[in-house]
Formats: sequence, structure tokens, C-alpha cells
Amino acid sequence: MLVFTRKRNDAIIIGDGIEIRVLRIGRDSIRLGVKAPPSVPVHRLEIYEQIVEANRAAASRRDLPAAVAARLGKKSEPTT
Amino acid sequence: MTAAQGEGAAPDVLRLYTHFGAFNLKTEDVIAFPSGLPGFEADRRFVLLSAPSYEPVQCLQSIDAASPSFLVVDPRRVLPDYRARLNQSDLTRLGAADETSLLWLAIVTVNDDGLYANLRAPVVINPARMLGFQLVPSDSVYPLRHPLFAE
Repeated sequence: MLVFTRKRNDAIIIGDGIEIRVLRIGRDSIRLGVKAPPSVPVHRLEIYEQIVEANRAAASRRDLPAAVAARLGKKSEPTT
Repeated sequence: MTAAQGEGAAPDVLRLYTHFGAFNLKTEDVIAFPSGLPGFEADRRFVLLSAPSYEPVQCLQSIDAASPSFLVVDPRRVLPDYRARLNQSDLTRLGAADETSLLWLAIVTVNDDGLYANLRAPVVINPARMLGFQLVPSDSVYPLRHPLFAE
């Protein structure tokens, strides 16, 4: 991991135009400003990880359609 | 690649076998997800499959990388007044001028105790551009696991 020492209002730049600036330094937290093009989504890591976990739990199991059909009270159709 | 697969000669239809059924796909059926989905960042191309026996649940099937598939449902079929918020850069990512014609899909998880829809992080697609992404809101009134079709 690359490590920088930055003061208030200092910034780093990543790639083409992703800028991260230290806006405020508190006792237990710092406030960061992020400038990025719309094609680069920026998220809080712990929230992104929650969605990763939810997606992994949702991703296909072979018996998924049958399980859904059973829940819906419908008959599963053979797939071939 | 051979010359026969070059322009004009490439077959436009792909036969796709999934555990949701077998489908003939055309290139215009492919929805681009330039960032993939969280946890599946390498899966950039998906198709949305429907089968009458699973209505109103559909299948969002990757045709890339690990080829995961997700069961999805229109969140408004779960909560009729469902409304997630998009900002201007979300609309830019979708190549959309406004929210009117966007397609919303909540990812469904199957557990032993039932089905749950992820209403917090919906997939949103602009059908006019066949572009989509999964919204990762920093705050949302909707749960990650909302029971589906609860009696």
C-alpha cells in the first residue's frame, strides 16, 4: 500500500482526474472530498462490501428456478 | 477469427442454455454493465431472461467471466410505491436524460426460509442504450433483505 502524509487541504491524484482531498481533520475522523468522473463510482467500502456479500448470496445455484417455482406454487419446467 | 466471421457474416443469434431455460439471444439483447456488479466486477455483459413459469421473477444472466445469474423482480411488484433516487452522475452513467424510461430490478436471494429481494441496491437499466449498473446508495430507507411474496 502506498502511504502519504497529507495536511488539511492537501490532495492526492489517482489516474486521470480522480482527486482525493483532505477537507477536515478531527480527533477520530477525517473528512475527505473525492472528485471523479461519472464513470468511476465512489462508495464507502463497508457499504460496497455489504452489497458484494448480498450479491454473492444471490448468485446462481442450480436449483434456484425450482426453488422459486415451488415458492410461487408453480411447476418447474424442464430446461432442455 | 476467420474471415467468414467478419462483418456481415457473424451469426447474430446465440443459443444460450441456462438453468432458467434455453434462449436464442441477439446481440441487441445484451445489456452492458461497464462496472460489472459488486462482487462480479468482471461480468460486463448480461441478458434479461423471462419464462412464464417464473413470472414475475426474471433472470439476469451474465454471458461473461464467471457467468453468474441472478433472479430479479421489479421492486414495484414488491412495494408499489418503491422509488430509489438517482443523481445526475447516475443518469450520465446510464446515458439517460431523465428517469422516465428506466428499468428497475431488485436482486432476489433464495434462502431455506423463503425469498428475499434486495431493495436497497437495485439494478437500474436504460433500455434505450442497453446500459446498466447496480445502485450502491450510501443511505436508503429500503432493506437489503425484504421478504418476497410473504403470505
